[in-house]
Amino acid sequence: MNNKKVCDKVKTNWPVMVLLILGLSTIIFPLYMAIVIAFKQPSEMTNSISGILSLPAKWSLDNFAQAMEVTDFWRSLGNSILITVVTVVLSIVLHSMMGYAIGRNRAHSKFYKFVYLFVVSGMFVPFAILMMPLAKQTAELGLANWAGVIILYVVFYMPMNVLLYSGYLVNIPIALEEAARVDGASTWRTYWKVIFPIMKPMHATVAIITALAVWNDVMTPLVIMSGTGQNTLPLAQLNFQTQFGTNYNLAFASYLLALIPILIFYVICQKNIINGVVNGAVK
Amino acid sequence: MRGKATKYLSAALVAAMTGAMVLTGCSGAGGSDGKTEIEILQYKPEAATYFDQVEEQFNATHDDIHLTIDSPNDASTILRTRFIREDYPDIIGIGGDINYSYYVDAQILADVSDYEGMTDIKDAYIDIAEALEIVPEDGTFIVPYVANAAGILYNRDMFEEHGWEIPTNWGELMDLCEEIQAEGILPFYFGFRDTWTCLAPWNAIAVDLAPADLCKQVNRGEANFTEGYAEAAEKYLELISYGPEDPIAYGYNDACTAFARGESAMYPIGSYAVPQILSVNPEMNIDSFVMPASDSTDGNTLNSGIDLGFAVTAACENKEAAYEVLDFLLDDENIQAYIDDQNAVPCKEGDFELAPMLDGMAEYIESGNMTDYQDHYYPSEMAVDAQLQTYVINKDADAFLKKFDSDWLRYNRDIIRTVEEYEAENGSDQ
Amino acid sequence: MKNERKRTFLLITIPILALFVCFNTIPLIRGVIYSFTNFKGFGTYDWVGLRNYIDLFQDPRVGGSYLFTFKLAICATIVTNVISLILALGLNSKIRAKGFFRAAYFLPNVLGALVVGYVFQYLFTYILPALGEMMGSGALSQSMLSNEKTAWIAIMIVCCWQNIAMNTIIYISGLQTVPEDVYEAGSLDGATGWKRFRHLTFPLIIPFFTINMVLCVKNFLMVFDQIMAMTKGGPAQSTESISYLIYNNGMSGGQFGFQSANAVIFFIVIVAISAAQMTISSRKEEQL
Repeated sequence: MNNKKVCDKVKTNWPVMVLLILGLSTIIFPLYMAIVIAFKQPSEMTNSISGILSLPAKWSLDNFAQAMEVTDFWRSLGNSILITVVTVVLSIVLHSMMGYAIGRNRAHSKFYKFVYLFVVSGMFVPFAILMMPLAKQTAELGLANWAGVIILYVVFYMPMNVLLYSGYLVNIPIALEEAARVDGASTWRTYWKVIFPIMKPMHATVAIITALAVWNDVMTPLVIMSGTGQNTLPLAQLNFQTQFGTNYNLAFASYLLALIPILIFYVICQKNIINGVVNGAVK
Repeated sequence: MRGKATKYLSAALVAAMTGAMVLTGCSGAGGSDGKTEIEILQYKPEAATYFDQVEEQFNATHDDIHLTIDSPNDASTILRTRFIREDYPDIIGIGGDINYSYYVDAQILADVSDYEGMTDIKDAYIDIAEALEIVPEDGTFIVPYVANAAGILYNRDMFEEHGWEIPTNWGELMDLCEEIQAEGILPFYFGFRDTWTCLAPWNAIAVDLAPADLCKQVNRGEANFTEGYAEAAEKYLELISYGPEDPIAYGYNDACTAFARGESAMYPIGSYAVPQILSVNPEMNIDSFVMPASDSTDGNTLNSGIDLGFAVTAACENKEAAYEVLDFLLDDENIQAYIDDQNAVPCKEGDFELAPMLDGMAEYIESGNMTDYQDHYYPSEMAVDAQLQTYVINKDADAFLKKFDSDWLRYNRDIIRTVEEYEAENGSDQ
Repeated sequence: MKNERKRTFLLITIPILALFVCFNTIPLIRGVIYSFTNFKGFGTYDWVGLRNYIDLFQDPRVGGSYLFTFKLAICATIVTNVISLILALGLNSKIRAKGFFRAAYFLPNVLGALVVGYVFQYLFTYILPALGEMMGSGALSQSMLSNEKTAWIAIMIVCCWQNIAMNTIIYISGLQTVPEDVYEAGSLDGATGWKRFRHLTFPLIIPFFTINMVLCVKNFLMVFDQIMAMTKGGPAQSTESISYLIYNNGMSGGQFGFQSANAVIFFIVIVAISAAQMTISSRKEEQL
């Protein structure tokens, strides 16, 4: 509440507003092109500038309907959502705990400092070198399915998320935990009661970054899930692209459709980043 | 606060897990009891509709065999990951390129010379398949299904309107280009920003001018590219000079669109580009002719290779059933359906009706005057396409050919060693 | 009490670490083993000892890819961080329609590689040269993507355009940790504008600066999607990034063993760089 009052008191910063609106043009232009192409027919495509920027001859949703059919939209969407949601939830739970353990100890413990560097360095392993061994390993473990893909994601994004969480913890005073400990709470309880809720802005950030990476990823499901007959959206979208011909109109329609769920998710998370009331808690 | 957060989390988790159970439950296809399972994995996703139909028809007419045909995108990656999992499909549908050579060398494929349908396949394509073996092996490892053909696509209406003739040798082609240019029309379009398209005119020129087995000669240490490709390299640049000013600026898609919109009279690319061109301009009247790179009219040959062939894997447990599937695929009606759908050239003998855009090549196809793509012998990691792109920019033939020779030895080190060992054991096979 | 805390931390760390080792470290080790073979990705293979590593240091193509990748990464990291920090401050200031702006500036991150590739190829091939001609500028009237000297700049622009969104989010969440009373105290001392940023805000968000630097190094040194979407390594092999070579020649081509060796060296190089980065900035954090 305190924040709101401050907001109301201070006037809108107009110079910043103007700059932000100007900056938007770099985003609106590509988006405009994508939308226009998504509505056009292949026969309307030209190489001339006026041709590409012109509005489609008629605004029909045919491309979208056809794109949904080609990608088996609802099923692929279901698979994508399933994999993304489970990965994000597991990431928030597991990576925040790991980040907590590391963040609180790496300054004074050699072991945790090593674990920190070890895990974070995992971020830099080129995926190409892991691909073959992972394809073999997941098959041996009977994980050549969506569950295997989720486990791999939880491992792939662990380095980045641990980096984020442990960085965030630096700004959370240890005094908060000590207060809870004085009340007799165990470390485990303290974590869930005090620390986990305080890291809400970081949970939202991690959720967005992880969800986005998972949502758009092609390689992991391609390699791990091939032959299971299950598709994620990006996998299904490969249908529009072959070396000898790409149907950009259908592809763009499909990409715009796939963009909506993740954008909604972002808007929800974004609110949580802003509403994270660390300020109040610190007092 | 704590209760709320964990409750949300666990609720989401439970919901997602349940959803997953339902989904996987649905997808668990019932096993077809007692039937022999045959799985085909073929690498042309653009033909997926055709193969879905074949699969359906086959299963409707066969009680003892259940066929699955998979047409994934990025099949080469999928094939590799499946090979490493030792999860081999029964039949793989692949092209006759260096990957086929590797698969034969790795003994992944079974000998299919005892397959009866083999006798109906045109000898030219069986020869092409055998030539792709790194060292001569006993047996045949692929049943060629359809071929593609690359030369020059041209705008038939535009040619008729101006009264231009189809050139039959290099001099005529150059004269034609001058004539077209004089009328203010661009002779060729190129989309060299997509590096792989640099290979299309190169292949078409090189088959006319270089020995068909040049790459194998080099592997045996009997020739080099500096000499073998000298004329091709020179004519390649001459051809490019009749294209747009900055061919590297445009991509494959730009070039297809430009040609479809009548911005150029010709487009040196394979027949595979026709659907993309027609999607932009469905009315367009396209025909093609063989690249006349040779100075003499009868020195030319059609650039054609195995676009899709079926190979039975060594791991296939029921070869009889696999052959039955091949019989079905090679049925005249099915082949005709495929070539109608994909503008392809059949590898089987018989009376098939070819797509109209192959009219100009029909003579070569019928007489069997065909030579495989040079690039089917190039290892992809050597990036000959990128080297050609560099050559188009720098226009330095000596540097290009010198690098070709030195890179070849480096990237084909293992192949050359295999060839040397074979030669030492068997003596030269010439 | 102290033991309970230690035990809890270990109980958290060990299982998660085990999972990580199982699906990251073990496959990595298996990959490293392939780097001593001539494995093509399938079939049989022979041990070749250190041949791949020796070749690696003599291969001009690999050398070129390192030069290109580092040039790109350094420039893109600077540009991205400067712009996204400014953007985060702007989006965090007193403006209207905050939610809308934050969503809009996030969009570049969501658009798939195919869309981004197509739109920017079009921009560089047709629109920019047309603008260049209108302004009578010879340098601009040629497509940036067809010139060996400028293609990397085009790639850099696209990389920055896409990555700014992510870095901005991280900076924004960092700015949330700056307590309001710091500013209140600051404004009493008369700190405004640049001074306020330099002395009050920035020191408090240094951990996030570190995170962003590391993520930038990761994203840009391992650049792959943008290359595939825009140039496929051209023109004249001038934009072949290290990841592009590793994937293209190792996975699609038959050089799996050799490119595994490349990946191993590359991995060591990036780890060394980011370790140095983190050490430097953690020292800074301590100073403040």
